[in-house]
Amino acid sequence: MSENGRGPNSVDKRKPLALGIVGGLIGIYLTPINPIIGPLLAALGAVCGIVWGADAIARVASYGLGTGVPSIGYMSLAFSLVGALSGLSVAVYLGTSYTWIGPVLGVVLAMIVGAIVAGLGLTVLKMKIPILMRCTIELAGAASISVLGFSAAIAGSYAMPNILHSVIIPGYIALFFILNTMAIQHPFNACLGPNENRTRTLKLAFSTAFIAMAITGVIAMPFSSAWYVIAIVGAIGWFVSITSFIQASKDEAALVKWTGWWPHEEGEDFDKEVKEIKEA
Amino acid sequence: MVVDPLILIGAVAVGGVLIGGGVHFIPVGGAPAAIATATGVGTGTAMLAAGGGMTGLITAAAATTSPLWLVILAGGAGSALMLGITMLVGNWVYIWGVGCVPSSAKVTHDPITKYEQSKFVTPGTEGHGIPTVCFVSGIIGGLLSGFGGALAYYFLYYSLIATPGYAIPSGAYVSLGAATLAGTFALGLFFVNSVIASYNIGGTIEGFHDPKFARLPRAALACIIASAIVGALGVLLVQGGSF
Repeated sequence: MSENGRGPNSVDKRKPLALGIVGGLIGIYLTPINPIIGPLLAALGAVCGIVWGADAIARVASYGLGTGVPSIGYMSLAFSLVGALSGLSVAVYLGTSYTWIGPVLGVVLAMIVGAIVAGLGLTVLKMKIPILMRCTIELAGAASISVLGFSAAIAGSYAMPNILHSVIIPGYIALFFILNTMAIQHPFNACLGPNENRTRTLKLAFSTAFIAMAITGVIAMPFSSAWYVIAIVGAIGWFVSITSFIQASKDEAALVKWTGWWPHEEGEDFDKEVKEIKEA
Repeated sequence: MVVDPLILIGAVAVGGVLIGGGVHFIPVGGAPAAIATATGVGTGTAMLAAGGGMTGLITAAAATTSPLWLVILAGGAGSALMLGITMLVGNWVYIWGVGCVPSSAKVTHDPITKYEQSKFVTPGTEGHGIPTVCFVSGIIGGLLSGFGGALAYYFLYYSLIATPGYAIPSGAYVSLGAATLAGTFALGLFFVNSVIASYNIGGTIEGFHDPKFARLPRAALACIIASAIVGALGVLLVQGGSF
């Protein structure tokens, strides 16, 4: 593992960052353009956020937090969810002409809390993880975009009154808490190890994000006319990404398949296996 | 009841410290305990916070319209019960499944039962299962965390229902939106503080007899600051009801 917890098989950290911030916010802000396309774009924005979060968690958890990969995911989702909803609430307080400020303020508030919590970890708790600050801030942003995106997809708007009616009162907000944490923390938790390839991890991140999107589409049924579009696009995206992930896993497993496992005993078995490999 | 914003921030900060402190009492074994090479429940604090926290908040929310002391007691009872069940069933698996004697390598004698521990610790391990002292400590931890979560839930719920957006609908006893939002907020508080506590103890602790327990003041400081910030976000959330 080289500097910043990135091995040779890693992707440029700016790419998921750009995808998450730009893709996520554009998707959320385009929600009101059309009752069908808008919610779909919001859900795709949440997918971008989840992929960004999966990359950030992979970078920070490469250091070994001592608490497992999921814990930082749960913590980030916790304060990001509160931060995102607070941002929307402040927009309500400012008045209807300031509704647009809600999502971006929510993301910023979540990132500020992320910075404070990471700062406490580094100073008060004396943790020795140099990229904890940067990655916790990134995770907070990614988590808040994912919550806002899925909420806007169900409500068809990013205004707090609509989200209160169709996301908070039915209790979907608690579901997003766990669903988005799973989508963000699972890819690295499943792929970590000495032979981790970040491209393969992010393929799994796309598949968890799309399956979360498909579930969002199904639960949006009572509130959104776009529910079937979100569910179908999510399911197609999941199929494409999980197929690609399985293919990548097989390709990398070929290294083991071609060279074989280590010999059971020195001598006859080993020679026999080498012979078999040469023949094949 | 009108809740002053400062009281809300204070309640959330106190709740956060109770949660963070409570985690130090819970025997969190992490991955080593999952393979019975360390004392405690074989999972991390995040999962225990999810189990204990959610159960505590369900029992607290069931008592929503009751006075404060009853809501807090209900939250504590729910969390302590869930953690008690988790530790009991975990112990069944360790005793009859793995086949090891619950024992701790951190103390020579159990401080409560005075039973000798070192004879029963498998060489090369840090102990296994959940001995009496860990179980009692875990129940105390569950009670404290449950109190903390219920405290935050109660004050946010009453702050929210004072606003027009979250007001109790006519003919109903509770406001569903306020209860859901306050419950999710309190659950978030559980996760934030349990993970901060978890960072402080390096992922595993046995209970109040563990030497790592002495690190509690450091976690309390971190938890009170982090929770006060989350409480300030709670004040902003209340503003969202003014439509």
